[in-house]
Amino acid sequence: MLFTSLEFFIFLPLVIAVFRIVPVAQRWAVLLLASYVFYGFLHPFNLVYLGAVTLVIYLCGRWLARTEKPSGRAAVLAGGLVVVLGSLTAFKFYDFVAGEISAANLIPHFALPRLGLTAPAGFSFYAFSAASYLIDIYAGRLTAQQKLAGTVLFVAYFPKIFAGPIERATTFLPQLWSGLRSDSKRIVLGLQLIGWGLFKKVVIADNLAQMVDHTFSIVSFAPPVELLLGSYFFAFQIYCDFSGYTDIALGASSLFGLTLMENFRRPYLSRSTAEFWGERWHISLSHWFRDYLYIPLGGSRAGPLRRAANVMIVFLVSGLWHAGLGYGVGWTFLIWGALNGFYQWAGLATRRLWRRVGEALPRVKSSAALAVLRAVITFHLITIAWVFFRAASIHDALVVLRRIGARLGDLPSLFAIYPFSTEQLTAFGLIAFLIGYEIVDERRPVFQRLADAPVAVRWGAYYLLIFALLLLGRWQAKEFIYMQF
Amino acid sequence: MTAMQHLERSAFLFMAIGLVLYAGLSFGCERLLFRNGHSNALYKIATAPPAADYDWLVLGASHAMPLDFDDFNAFMQHETGLRIINLASPGTGPLYNRFVLQSFLRAHRAGNLLYVVDSFGFWSRAWNEDRFADVKLIRGTPFAPATVALMSDYVRNDGVSPKALLDYVSGFSKVNNRDRFQRDAWEGEAQFDRVYRPSVSAVTKRIAYLYPDPQAPAVLAHYVDVFGGLVAIAQQHDTRVVAVKLPAPAQFRNQLRGEAAFDDSLARILAERAVPLLDFSTELDDPSFYFDTDHLNRTGLTELFQRRLKTLLMM
Repeated sequence: MLFTSLEFFIFLPLVIAVFRIVPVAQRWAVLLLASYVFYGFLHPFNLVYLGAVTLVIYLCGRWLARTEKPSGRAAVLAGGLVVVLGSLTAFKFYDFVAGEISAANLIPHFALPRLGLTAPAGFSFYAFSAASYLIDIYAGRLTAQQKLAGTVLFVAYFPKIFAGPIERATTFLPQLWSGLRSDSKRIVLGLQLIGWGLFKKVVIADNLAQMVDHTFSIVSFAPPVELLLGSYFFAFQIYCDFSGYTDIALGASSLFGLTLMENFRRPYLSRSTAEFWGERWHISLSHWFRDYLYIPLGGSRAGPLRRAANVMIVFLVSGLWHAGLGYGVGWTFLIWGALNGFYQWAGLATRRLWRRVGEALPRVKSSAALAVLRAVITFHLITIAWVFFRAASIHDALVVLRRIGARLGDLPSLFAIYPFSTEQLTAFGLIAFLIGYEIVDERRPVFQRLADAPVAVRWGAYYLLIFALLLLGRWQAKEFIYMQF
Repeated sequence: MTAMQHLERSAFLFMAIGLVLYAGLSFGCERLLFRNGHSNALYKIATAPPAADYDWLVLGASHAMPLDFDDFNAFMQHETGLRIINLASPGTGPLYNRFVLQSFLRAHRAGNLLYVVDSFGFWSRAWNEDRFADVKLIRGTPFAPATVALMSDYVRNDGVSPKALLDYVSGFSKVNNRDRFQRDAWEGEAQFDRVYRPSVSAVTKRIAYLYPDPQAPAVLAHYVDVFGGLVAIAQQHDTRVVAVKLPAPAQFRNQLRGEAAFDDSLARILAERAVPLLDFSTELDDPSFYFDTDHLNRTGLTELFQRRLKTLLMM
């Protein structure tokens, strides 16, 4: 079931109605049932995978709780992770690797059979949540669930199942068992988040998607201006698509009295790529990699070379995790990961320089102009990486970048004569609105401002949002990008 | 009053005001439809003179639509002295056409029905039940309680999605229409005077588009029965039915799927209902008679009219 579908707009109020009737102590059961209905709605067979992953981590968790011998615990953990993450890897990469081996003809007359495997929607997300459940029990941060229901709901909880946030059991489960209650403030916040998330998805992302899809399907023929616009538009499309999903997930959870972790914090206002990845973009994934990969690898405590290698490993694995995201499983994702890893290297290498500049020129360092300049540079670096993410192949990505690069000096004059379409002009307006909103939100959250505003202003804003959804939204059920892997 | 009760009262008021605003917006969009309406069959029915009596009613899918492109219907009427109304709709099989016919016969009358048959419309629900939910068709369909009642029947009896009815009743697709200020014309009309350059890949793509499902005999039998029902409704209203296959270029015709099975089933139902079938499909092979892979352009239609259609209409 998609968050933007009619079914969801019927489903959610129904679940809320039942949730409110049921006694607080049993409300988890409503959410559990709703989650399985929600996930199985499109493809009931996917429930088999979900159930299998849940059962594996529940049993391994119980086993870990009973096992005291370190080697035994390590074996149980490894076994559980192999099943969960191994199946994720097989789903994502088996056919791709089989195809590459055949194409390379490494072993004459030998070809691995293609199995046509497709990961069930959201598998990458709940597999990571499931893995964190096991690792946290192993590390002693979490007590294994006695009740199977807790583990089931943690993995399957419907607002987050397709595209996160990648929640931790350490924060999710205590909320579940302490009683699910929602008050008027939470309900208002939830509805605000759902409205804003829908706006980002159906008004901004899906309107940009039309132009992005067109541009990236004709990279060799599209004018350089269009390639540049396509790249910018994709940067905002993927942000609004993904963060729109997260906002709806957070909003729906708020209606049930649950708080999920913040996943986006106005990422395009970042002043460095480190800030972008560490604090503002897909925070739940960044933190997952930090806690379960980067730190176990030694993190930043193992000397500069090891640290650099760890950073690169994290970004390469992140690239692999993103592979298959609606744009096929290809080497582009590895390049994308490597490029972002390289940005972190460059950031680490110039960190001292920036510190010295700050010490020598404190006024310059704190000036708004420098902040804007750094944000603009960061945005462009991230956008260059997005080109690899979106392009159908490395060749296509290089064509886009080469063709833009070759006409970089002429762009102002090309822009002057470019016949902008109504859709493109509308897109500029929407992006400008989004940036303005986020700048205001960065200083003080817009939702807080609205809460303090007179009712006429508040309701006026809500009606504007709703009518923008009705008049400008694309509602023909386009999937969320991150749902597709 | 508790905070929750206050919220509930505010929410009720907010929704009430919102509904009033939505009703106003929806009303405005409905007015806009009458300003920009053009090719939608239900729009043509709604804007026809009251209780109009036509000599010919044309039904079918997009292949029948060029008969009403630009001034061609006026030309045919002038040449024959007959009153003709064309209610063909893009991508529609017999179920949607039956719906159009019933809507038409509620308010008007036609002496003859020219049904342009296309096999693709008989092989998939994509061209029948699913077409009722097509936002472009809903956007161009004026709101009328009688249409709501008829569509409800189709939801109950013919497997049309309730979503289509909900969309139509709520006016959502009209409010959410990005082309709200443009004329509601099918894109093919702008190409009516164009000449097609043959392309094998274009034909292959077009055929794949027209026949999206594996061909199941049961599906064909079902839609042939639906077509039989359409003929029966027309005959109950004293409307004589003539079925025609319009010309198609050889390159396109040769790739049609399941055509022999379709012809057999069609011949059977037409024989039962004493309906003549005129097969003009091989009449115009030259690609210069088409504006795309399979739609007649002005030259092609004029040629067909002089060779065949004029005599047919005046019979």
